[in-house]
Amino acid sequence: MPAKTASAQAHLKERILELAQGTRLADGRELPMLPGPLSLELARGLGRSRNPGHQPQLRGHAVALVERTALELGVCPERYLRNFDAYSLEEQLRLLAADVALVGLGGLGGYALELLARAGVGKIRAADGDEFVPSNLNRQLYATRRTMGGYKAAAAAARVKQVNPAVAFEPVAAFLDEADMGCFLAGAHLCLDALGGLKDRAALLRQAARAGVLLVTAAVSGQSGYVATVPPGEKGPADYFGAGAGAEDTQGTPAPAVAVAASLMAGEALNILAGRGPKLAGKMLVFDLGAMSFETVTL
Amino acid sequence: MNIVIKCFATLSRFAPAEAEAFSVAPGETVADVVARLGIPPDELKLVFVNGAHAPLATPLADGDRVGLFPAVGGG
Repeated sequence: MPAKTASAQAHLKERILELAQGTRLADGRELPMLPGPLSLELARGLGRSRNPGHQPQLRGHAVALVERTALELGVCPERYLRNFDAYSLEEQLRLLAADVALVGLGGLGGYALELLARAGVGKIRAADGDEFVPSNLNRQLYATRRTMGGYKAAAAAARVKQVNPAVAFEPVAAFLDEADMGCFLAGAHLCLDALGGLKDRAALLRQAARAGVLLVTAAVSGQSGYVATVPPGEKGPADYFGAGAGAEDTQGTPAPAVAVAASLMAGEALNILAGRGPKLAGKMLVFDLGAMSFETVTL
Repeated sequence: MNIVIKCFATLSRFAPAEAEAFSVAPGETVADVVARLGIPPDELKLVFVNGAHAPLATPLADGDRVGLFPAVGGG
């Protein structure tokens, strides 16, 4: 590390410790916390020397640096306070260092992205070549009157910036063929299959296996759905379902089932990224909201 | 003897009225029950018996829980 960077880093640490406020949790524990506005002020300050006299732009990587540094010092950035201690500070730091590849930004992908961004997953690349159409409005989080006709990837990028500037989000407004999937997954720690339909799911399973990453997959039809985690090289649900029509073609994909599947997917992804290991490896959690039944089965 | 049958998604239209206590004869397999329910073989993609993926030839025992899944891929 160059001397200048090292001294800037030491200064940042000093400032964080000065600005941290003690927060008392309901169980009596004290947790040092960095208030949200101060996080952003410190992040702005990191760019100040480059354009003196101007209100510096808020840069995502600077916000991420402040948050990571705070967590390393045992200080919880305020935006993650209510994650504590569902995720410890150490786990929160792991989430900020995580790199996820998300394929599909429709019903499942929109909700999954929202949850990962709020959780503070540091790097997310997401691919979808689709544009919003009115039939997406029943369930897709980023489908609004304003975003109709636009790229889903663009709406997702705008949203992530609003939700959590610390997330380095890389939108890809393209449909991936199998070769593209291979490139897309390079370097990712985890792959999320939020595709719509069965056509491309087996290819994504193969490419996740090639990349040596766990794949968290989900799908919905009517009130039913499933979430599964597929270790590299093992069989996933898509291997049994084929590439033809799915039950959703007649039953549809209503919002509650989609949001439940995406939430389970995000919960499992965060289990993995926080370092706790997958809970659904080789298994499938199947649910039916019509019967309010949940069961985890072995695949 | 009785088994419990759960038909997911589009297969729910084949679910018997007595799904919680569906009577099977000794020696009957999942395939026999699937045929009795009138489920077209190409619509059935995954079978679970007592929470584990199982082949169609699995013989059934009293109290078994059978889950039947079609292809599901919606997002």
